[in-house]
Amino acid sequence: MPDSNQKLSRRDFFKASGLIAAGAMGGPALLGGLRTAQAAPKAPAWTSGFSACDMCFNKCGLIARVEDGVLTKLDPNPKFLKSRGMLCARGNAGISHVYDPDRLKHPLLRKGARGEGKWQRIPWDEALDMAAEKMAAVRRDYLPCGHLFSAGSDLQSQFVGRLAEVYGSFNITSHESLCLVSNSRAFLDTFGEVPFADVLHSKYIIMAGANRFEALVTPDSMDLMTAMREHGCKLVTLDPRYTKTAALSDEWYPIRPGTDMAFMLALAHVIIGEKLYDAQWIAEKTYGIEQLTEHVKQYTPGFAAEQCGIPAEDIARIARELAAAAPTSMVYPGRRSSDYEDSTQIRRSFAIVNGLLGNWDRPGGLLAARAVGLKGVPYDAPWYDENHEDRIDAETVPMMFEHEGSFMVTRDAVLADDPYKIRGWFIYKTNPMATAPNRKKTIEMMNKMDFITVVDIAMSDTAWFADLVLPSQSYLERTDPCSGLQGSSACACVVKRDPLIEPLYESRPLFDIVKGIAGRLDLGEYFDFTMQEFRTRQLAGLPGAEEILDRDGVYYNPSKVYGIYDGRVYKTLSKKVELYNQRYEQMGIDPLPVYTPPAKVPANQFRLVIGRNALVTQGSTANNGLLHQFVPENTLWLNPEPAERLGIADGDLVEVSSAVGRQSLKAEVTDKIRSDTVYMLTGFNSLSTMQHLAHGNGASIAEVLDGKYDTVTGNAALHQTFVTVTRKVA
Amino acid sequence: MQRKLMLLAASALVMFMTVSMAFALGDGNGRKGKFLYRKNCRTCHNGATAKDLSPADMTQAEWKATFADMSKIKCSGDWTVSEEDVNDIFTYLHDYAKDSPSPAKCS
Amino acid sequence: MARQLAMVIDATKCIDCKACVAACKVANKVPEDQWRNWIKHENEVPRVGAAGGGKARFQPGACMHCDNPTCVAACPTGATYKDAENGEVVINEGLCIGCGNCIPACPYGARFRNAEKRKADKCNYCPERRAHGLEPACVDTCPTKARVFGDINDPQSEAGRLYLANKDRLKRVAALTDTKPNMYYLGDLGPEAWGGEAVVPASMVAMKQSAPLIKGIVALSGLGVLAMLGRQLLAGSDHKEDGDA
Repeated sequence: MPDSNQKLSRRDFFKASGLIAAGAMGGPALLGGLRTAQAAPKAPAWTSGFSACDMCFNKCGLIARVEDGVLTKLDPNPKFLKSRGMLCARGNAGISHVYDPDRLKHPLLRKGARGEGKWQRIPWDEALDMAAEKMAAVRRDYLPCGHLFSAGSDLQSQFVGRLAEVYGSFNITSHESLCLVSNSRAFLDTFGEVPFADVLHSKYIIMAGANRFEALVTPDSMDLMTAMREHGCKLVTLDPRYTKTAALSDEWYPIRPGTDMAFMLALAHVIIGEKLYDAQWIAEKTYGIEQLTEHVKQYTPGFAAEQCGIPAEDIARIARELAAAAPTSMVYPGRRSSDYEDSTQIRRSFAIVNGLLGNWDRPGGLLAARAVGLKGVPYDAPWYDENHEDRIDAETVPMMFEHEGSFMVTRDAVLADDPYKIRGWFIYKTNPMATAPNRKKTIEMMNKMDFITVVDIAMSDTAWFADLVLPSQSYLERTDPCSGLQGSSACACVVKRDPLIEPLYESRPLFDIVKGIAGRLDLGEYFDFTMQEFRTRQLAGLPGAEEILDRDGVYYNPSKVYGIYDGRVYKTLSKKVELYNQRYEQMGIDPLPVYTPPAKVPANQFRLVIGRNALVTQGSTANNGLLHQFVPENTLWLNPEPAERLGIADGDLVEVSSAVGRQSLKAEVTDKIRSDTVYMLTGFNSLSTMQHLAHGNGASIAEVLDGKYDTVTGNAALHQTFVTVTRKVA
Repeated sequence: MQRKLMLLAASALVMFMTVSMAFALGDGNGRKGKFLYRKNCRTCHNGATAKDLSPADMTQAEWKATFADMSKIKCSGDWTVSEEDVNDIFTYLHDYAKDSPSPAKCS
Repeated sequence: MARQLAMVIDATKCIDCKACVAACKVANKVPEDQWRNWIKHENEVPRVGAAGGGKARFQPGACMHCDNPTCVAACPTGATYKDAENGEVVINEGLCIGCGNCIPACPYGARFRNAEKRKADKCNYCPERRAHGLEPACVDTCPTKARVFGDINDPQSEAGRLYLANKDRLKRVAALTDTKPNMYYLGDLGPEAWGGEAVVPASMVAMKQSAPLIKGIVALSGLGVLAMLGRQLLAGSDHKEDGDA
């Protein structure tokens, strides 16, 4: 610690000595008589209630403090192990979400052209009548499958699926094909299920295509810090950006975007070539080591070095270190894999290295799902013989998840009326206008519809282009079904939500809305229950769980964490970890990931990459009054070298343009990004003027990104857009 | 291997002998199979009368083996569905089996 | 020994997620674009590969409830004082006239004039929450539990245990004026000497130096008038709706 006194000037000395003198004479005790003038603060008269956060998908346990019927604070539930008893900035900003002055207040019917923003307030009965009538008309004119249903991640989204099915449509898309289905595909097709990473007990982690200290995933983000700080875990990060994860890593490499597979295959090359794997484990538990051995011969560290821009000796050393720490080491699987057209194969290369490390179902490795014990609540949907046989997005890609669909493929099919027409759309709490690439195409898709009903808490851009907008309740105003969650080694648990405040305005829960619509379509029998009855059925196999949920806000079902597959076969065709995928071979998909170099960035252009941070959940937080104070706008990260070449200074307004669209935002000139890459945060610049903080603020990724998708799953490919950046003259 | 061959042989025999099973299992309408399964099978396979069943309870190979010799399915004597319906039900169970590309989720 | 409430912080655990900052804003209804706590950055210069320098550091902080609180000396009314029982530096809002003397008197910039209340504001360790038996909001909400709060003189408390066990390596942020802060960092704290100089109006210093009683009398007699005047002049003049109200 520097001796600050030595630097004091004479004036300072006078001040300082004065202070010391004052202190010596009693300082704070000077006005001692007044010290008790302020009584000790009283404990506020708040009531507390449990819930689960909804500001992103993690569902962290929380305790809400309510004073006079008003939410005043959201705190973490210390008994909630999955989140390690924390609540992030977004969780804390839940109050601004609930009390956002821009919240939808009553049903609105579009009056002008789509997107024109002219609305008429209508009563609920009229709104539900209209929704049902229009849905019936679509079914009459275009068959039941001529109606599309989309729901985001929410505890009530299952009721959108139920409505769709009993109405007769199997055209249901989730948000997942704009996020992570290719990653799920790759790991499912290697291990037989989508694993949970046991970050807490890992000794060596390679983080590629993920940014865990900013894009928070519970408990991985917290466990990563504990593993590093308390267990000596080493973290190696590959990212074209110097993220906070990179900044806190032991090693960071600004990898050339799109080359992660080359890196992973080179790791496999070294691990196999130098026989650094557990031969017995590989022989017993995996399928295809011979084919893999042959396949990765070509992918030397030298080859990968040229592709990735990472020195060959570092690649080889990392492979050796990773193998030395096995099986308590991993290539972190990641989550959002909507990046390239071969993203399933890229993530397969991640999965294969994990297979070689023998970390499956073992401490510090990749863990299998544990049963939480919630029961499904079955129903018998009617059969509609007149329907087309399959989903509108079927058969374009070979390995789409039936229950998630592909938004990108669906959009193309709707626009082409191929193989049939879709003219109605029901959307709950998902915002493809803000998250799907090539917004103009999404607008076209919306223009194609006879009628669109959107249920949401706010006037999202998707709602902005709808016909009927119905205000839903926030997560703190409603009764939700139970939900099972798993958090790596931390827990397999159940959460539920109960109303903590009176619902604001005329908002209603989605459940009541679909129940109302179903009743009007003579489908009321499928919603003939209350939420409490539904929960009771869910919890039928867990005696005492409801009382524990009321007491602790979370119910744990203790079960085996490791060795779940001891004595059991893996859920793959070979009943082993599939290094070589047999089904892919049968289907004509590369059974081992074949590396194709990413397209070269054209001269004077950049590859646009996107992401989020701990203060942003895509479009759903851009209008949050508290979070807005942290991230008032998004900026374009631009390396100083091209910035100088283009005459762009930090803070300059720039135009970013791609083949499909252009946006303007401020440049952030920083050496935290490669010179061939630019980056912006998601969620900004809504078209909806009823999002005062998000509208006209920063740039929309959806407008600029090109609409490519993964050829195996139909997952959006968000990192394949090249842009030019020019300084805008004010 | 031998067991597999025997199983294959047995199933071939059944197929051959059962005139009504003139078509091969599979390639049915899985979506309709789901409806038929719920309507015809889940009435008993509800966790009370008979055990709860999900396509993800077995592998695709296991479903194939099960349906190859339906006389071994205890309740098959009570079935009132057509062969085409059985095939649709099989297709549903097979296509969402635990090692299928889209393993069934609950309900 | 008297209690000394303090924070013992492991800055190496901080991921700069701002949960503590958000939690504080909500818990204390801190007005728009004002903050009671912060996270400082250091070493965020990209370093590639294994040969790079030290890791980046993110340093959580707030009012350090100093042993030699220059803000107390700068306060003309006695609104700001060091609590003898708990060692907190407290602002008695009833006495604060919003004069702003204490703001430059803090070398750490922990104080500001609350735009709505027009009074001095800063971290107060969330007394309302403590009355409920809860941790301060920033401590409670922290994802990596980087902040530990408690009485460092109590070996039974987690803060006291950490304080006593790590006494040799505990660090404090240095300032040009040494105010003896009660915010302790375990080991590497990142930016070490960013604190400035306490600027206390010379009149206050002189007054305290010569006749401490005068100050008391002035404070007592002038208090009502000043408080009324302050309210008249400042309160509600450009009051903004709170974002979370």
